[in-house]
Amino acid sequence: MLSRIAESLYWMARHLERADNTARVLDINVVHMLESDEGLTEDAQWRPLLTIVGADEVYQALYPDGRATVQRVIHLLTQDPSNPGCIHNCLRLARENARAARDRISKAMWESLNEFWLVADEHLGAKLPPWRAAELYSFIHREVATFLGLTETTMMRGEAHSFVRLGCLQERADMTARILDVRYHLLLPDLSLVGSPLDYYQWGALLKSLSGFESYRRRYQNGIRPIDVVEFVMLNPDFPRSITYSVNALEHALTRIGYPPDGATPSAIAALRQQVVGVEPGAIIESGLHQYLEELLERLSVLGDALQSDYFEAHPGDVS
Amino acid sequence: MFRQFQSNGGAPLLDRSEGPPMAFHEFYRDDFRPREHYLPMWEHLQRVGQKGLANKARDAQLALHNEGVTFTLYSDEGKGIERVWPVDILPRIITAQEWHPIEAGLKQRVRALNLFLKDLYHGQHILKDGVVPPELIYRGKDLCREIMDVDPPGDIYIHISGADLIRDEEGRYLVLEDNLRTPSGVSYMIENRVIERRILPELFSSYHVRRVEHYPDLLLQSLRDLSPRGPEEAVVVVLTPGIFNAAHFEHSFLAREMGVELAEGRDLVCKNDKVYLKTTLGLRQVDVVYRRIDDEYLDPLVFRSDSVLGAAGLINAWRAGHVALVNAPGTGVADDKAVYAYVPDIIRYYLGEAPILQSVPTYQMTDHQDRTYVLDNMEKMVVKAVAESGGKGMLMGPNSTAAQRDKFAKKIVEDPRHYIAQPVVQLSRHICYLDGELESRHLDLRPFCIYGSDIEVVPGGLTRVAVTRGSLVVNSSQGGGSKDTWVLAD
Repeated sequence: MLSRIAESLYWMARHLERADNTARVLDINVVHMLESDEGLTEDAQWRPLLTIVGADEVYQALYPDGRATVQRVIHLLTQDPSNPGCIHNCLRLARENARAARDRISKAMWESLNEFWLVADEHLGAKLPPWRAAELYSFIHREVATFLGLTETTMMRGEAHSFVRLGCLQERADMTARILDVRYHLLLPDLSLVGSPLDYYQWGALLKSLSGFESYRRRYQNGIRPIDVVEFVMLNPDFPRSITYSVNALEHALTRIGYPPDGATPSAIAALRQQVVGVEPGAIIESGLHQYLEELLERLSVLGDALQSDYFEAHPGDVS
Repeated sequence: MFRQFQSNGGAPLLDRSEGPPMAFHEFYRDDFRPREHYLPMWEHLQRVGQKGLANKARDAQLALHNEGVTFTLYSDEGKGIERVWPVDILPRIITAQEWHPIEAGLKQRVRALNLFLKDLYHGQHILKDGVVPPELIYRGKDLCREIMDVDPPGDIYIHISGADLIRDEEGRYLVLEDNLRTPSGVSYMIENRVIERRILPELFSSYHVRRVEHYPDLLLQSLRDLSPRGPEEAVVVVLTPGIFNAAHFEHSFLAREMGVELAEGRDLVCKNDKVYLKTTLGLRQVDVVYRRIDDEYLDPLVFRSDSVLGAAGLINAWRAGHVALVNAPGTGVADDKAVYAYVPDIIRYYLGEAPILQSVPTYQMTDHQDRTYVLDNMEKMVVKAVAESGGKGMLMGPNSTAAQRDKFAKKIVEDPRHYIAQPVVQLSRHICYLDGELESRHLDLRPFCIYGSDIEVVPGGLTRVAVTRGSLVVNSSQGGGSKDTWVLAD
């Protein structure tokens, strides 16, 4: 298929997944804020979100006093045009990429995404009142889920479908690693706190923002323990937002597409696999989870570059 | 207004103030009764009633909105604004007797114009014989010297065309423009049909309407036939300028309907006089390019060197016979508004036949007598820049101010070759359902021709409506609307 179309499909999926993940993180924080009785400051509650989506610098430039407030963070991550990664912009880009690849996605997918965009654009064009935020986020989850469901039920299992999968999985793995990194960084310092109510809520929030709370509870009966959370979120092959699951599925999609000769993709995916095979959660924590996750994010980014050069930029030398 | 009509059963709805009374009315006879072939429609509308019609109009609008049937307007910032395609729910109906001469006339015209192009790019006999003045061709900017003496497959230059037809005060169909470059609108013809059949199913089935939805199939067949490697092997692409182009919806629609790639210039690369697509599995040779990019942007090596829309080397690959371009380069010279006046002579010259469809009388500004007449009668004229399209560079005499007329008069005197003038033709009118009222509006018709092994005219076309009361400008870029067009079977 056309390189440009493959690239559009990939970015359509990535932007949608990013919008969904951002909405997820915000949603959980809003709920958490309502219930919170731990005496955390507003700043301490909302700053991590900026770090997760990589918006610290934009925020600082926009609000020189640097104080993180609920209204500002919600606005910046949801609809502020000065933040290119805001939900509104992700949806716009997802829809623009879908439009460019319209002849390769099913009619049902296009119509669902187009309707989704029209409604979202209408709501996000004006400033969103905070009390409507939760409603908007659940609308976004539902619509993204509908779109991905239609992808599974109406799209031919070929190259195009595989590039959609690649976009979703790459973004999902990236976001999972970031959420874990930032939350863990803030929560873990004192291992003796394991099992305290603070942990329950904070770690619960982490799991909920990955839609993994209930699955985790079913899988682990000993309460919410950081070591188990790390194992579950990183290594569980059946949890659809875990890193291991994503790596397996990325590999599967790439096998369907086929590896180009002399490409950089095979070694990039192998390096990623190495990062999750045969590792123990205890060992990861001991040698530094932050470092481990940074390495993982780096390898994900190498894979992104490899996809770019192997599939999205055909070279005049490769006449087939 | 509609309700009023129902209550006094059959009284004329025609608002005499809304336009010149001479315009032909497609729907009403002179005694303000519906024409015979519109009677079943009229009865049906009365059964549906005001409320039903309002619901149907809303359903149609919603469907177009949700399906993303759009066109793009260019804004001042250079970015495109996407608009939902406007469709009026009342169809235009053309009888078989009306359609036959349209079909025959369009075929005749395209055949003659194609011979004209072949001649211009080879022996130029028509210029030597003094039928068309050579300076008209040489002073225009559309003669494409780069393609002289090249033989395109089957000697066909104009594979795809979409002439604009209007009806004069007597109801005669006239050709207004031939549109031999990259005419748009065929996707909207099909979308209008899909919507209309869904919104007015009973009415639709009460008429025997000829089909138009096989157009993409006809197109694909004729494109594949042009493949230098044979139709079986053919790799066909639609070449688009990109998603900000006004007709991007159509480009994507056609690619999807034909099941071929929708390529942009950056997806193509030329090597050794062959054209390749950049794919995820490397480069793949292309045989046929249905290009929706104007000549001048097609190949920066031959035409505009600053163009990034086309592909460097495309014209050489075409000259070498390794790729077919549809339409061929250089068709613009036969679609020039000044050459238009000579089409009847061109038909007689090559085919030895009388033209079946008439043209609008056209005054050449290079002719002294014509020019003096036009300058003295500007308020009765439509003045057009020969190089413009889409309703731009145009003066509508009757609606113009003295200052606008002076401006155009000055332009004509300065550069007579680049202007022509035509008497204002009152386009025919038709009833439309607008904002809950039935109102009459002017419209035109663009049928689509495919020149393959034979010439085919799809029975139907895009009817464009001037939505503003009294306006004669139907272009969608200027706020025009559209109607589904029903050509009836014999």
